[in-house]
This record gives sequence, C-alpha cells and structure tokens, in this order.
Amino acid sequence: MSTYVYAFAASTHPLSIERSTGVGSPAAVLRVIHHDGLVAVVSDAPDGLRAKRRDLDAHHRIVGTLAAVGPVLPMRFGTIAVDDAAVERELASDSARFHELLDRVDGKVELNVRAAHDEDAVVRDVLFGDAALRRRNDALRAHGGGSYEERIAFGQSVAAAVDARSAHDAAHLIDALRPHAAATVLGPAVDGCFVNVSFLVAAAARQRFDESLARLRHDLSGVAAVRVHGPLPPYSFVADASDDGEG
Amino acid sequence: MSTITQASTAGQSSRGNLIYDVLELVLDRGLVIDVFVRVSLVGIELVTIDARVVVASVDTYLRFAEAANRLDLTGSSRPVGLPDLVGEIAEEGAEGRVKGVLSGVGGVIADGFKDLVGIDD
Repeated sequence: MSTYVYAFAASTHPLSIERSTGVGSPAAVLRVIHHDGLVAVVSDAPDGLRAKRRDLDAHHRIVGTLAAVGPVLPMRFGTIAVDDAAVERELASDSARFHELLDRVDGKVELNVRAAHDEDAVVRDVLFGDAALRRRNDALRAHGGGSYEERIAFGQSVAAAVDARSAHDAAHLIDALRPHAAATVLGPAVDGCFVNVSFLVAAAARQRFDESLARLRHDLSGVAAVRVHGPLPPYSFVADASDDGEG
Repeated sequence: MSTITQASTAGQSSRGNLIYDVLELVLDRGLVIDVFVRVSLVGIELVTIDARVVVASVDTYLRFAEAANRLDLTGSSRPVGLPDLVGEIAEEGAEGRVKGVLSGVGGVIADGFKDLVGIDD
C-alpha cells in the first residue's frame, strides 16, 4: 500500500488530527510517521486518486487544521510515497532543510490576494486618462462604432491601456502590502484577476497588513475588487528559492 | 455558470467554495519531494496557462471597443462621481455584462475545473 503525504512538521507540533480523516472514499485514517525531530502526517493512498473535490477538500482541510496550531510544510496535493519507509527515509535525508523551512514559516500565515477590474469602470478610467484614446472613441461613436477593423484596432489600443493600468494597479497593491510580509510570491494568472500574489505574514504584522489592505480597497473602489484568501497554510512558501521579501 | 464564477465575480468566498478560490495553490504549490510521485492531474496544469493566452484575443479587443463605445465622454475631464456612475452601469447592465475583465475566460476555466475536480460530487 502506497502512502499519501499531507504535510511535514516538527515533532513538537500538537498534531490536532484526532477527528480528521484523509483522502479517498471511505476516507483514509490519518497516521503519523516520526523520524529524528520531524513528523509526516500521512494516510494510505487510495487507488485511482484524482483531483476530486472531496479529496482536494480533505487535503486542504488537514493541512489547514495542522497549520492553525503550529508550523507545517504543506505537501502539494496528490503527493504519494511508495510506502511509509520511503517517507521516513526522506525525513532523514533532508531533515536540515525541512527544519529550516519550518523555522521560516513559524508564526506566519499565507494571505493570498487577488484583484480584478470591473471592465466598464476600468475602460472608462483609461479613457479619462488618455485624450488621444478619447478622441478616437468619439470619432468611432460618431460613425456608429466604426468598421470591424477599426473597432479591433481601437479595442487593441484600449486593451494596451488597460494592461498598463493593470500593471500599475498590481505594482501599487504589491508595494502597499509587501512591507508587512516576510516574503512575497507572485501566483499565476487566474480567473480574470490582474494580480494574484501571496504574502507570508507574521501574526504581529497582520493588523498593519489589514490596514493597508483597507486603504487599497478604498483607492480602487469602483474600479477593482480586491479579494483576500486566508489565513492559509504556507503553500507558496515552502519552495527553496521562492521569495524576495524581508523580515 | 458554476459556483466558482459566481464566487469570483461577486467577490465572495463562502466556506463551501473556498477550495476553488485557492485551487491553484493546493494543486501547484506546496512542497514537492523528488522521490515521491504525484497523482496524474491530466489537464489541470494547462488550465492556468490558458488564462494568459486568451487575454489578447480579437474577442477581447471587440469587447473593449464596445465598452468604450457605450461611454459618452465628450467634454468630460475627470469622472464626476465615478462610483455613482459605475453603480448605474452595474444596475443597467444585464447580469454578467459588467464583470471582471476576463470573466468570460474565467467562466471557461471554472467550467474546466468543475469537470476536472468533479464539482458535482
């Protein structure tokens, strides 16, 4: 039976998993593998595991439950070792690195911030800010919107202006929040957002982070919606060379 | 439309769909151990890439041109009570018309995720 791995932690972690169950159906029973000051929270790996809602939820819930009471290194969803002995060998072979990563995330949470423009509002805004675009728009409106080619060419110019505005707003958002984070990692483009960025934030910095966030929301009100997800386990901060922030 | 799209455009995050709001973190971040294998997630890695590709399409240009065309900015310098105007547009606009820049793309992605992760479980 292969072994599904949820997270690594230090052996001092409270491991609040008594009532949690793992991936699979019926849900797998969680267990803990100990080795030299480290633990791995694992279960049997179900056959035919895919990225199903139930299993993603289980993974995320277990990692989140653990992260709420002590530092953990969340595994990427779907991580499977050949058997428990392979997990133990991994804990043994790289324990210094895991301890270092655990120190780095200790007392901190991941806050994931995404922002999306309201399309009409941002188009309005960039036209107000660009007299040449405004004149072209007026001319096209005077001619029933213009030809297909004219509309594409104009739309391309508007898109470029919106892109520039997006880059500006993204930089503004990151600059405002980064000072409160121990590390910052850009995420991939998702779901219509012009920025997707994760911050590793210490408990002591949380209030200042939230205050900056409130100011940002005010600055962008009517033009962009800013969403925050978290506190999350530090999914984005367990790679070795991922951050550029300062403490 | 799926739960994800509604959640993202409405800017809400209820407990029920949290996993979708942070899906790519769970799927694409987190610790990777070389000697461990990872279950096959066919197609999922491609989904976020699609979002970047579709941004600059003719369809997008036409939509921006149309959005601009709806505005009467003649003689204006700065927006007068911009939030109010936005509010009016939001009220006038048909459901789904006044949404995020890439809401259409988001919908496609959301539906793709829905299939891949079995949202109907």
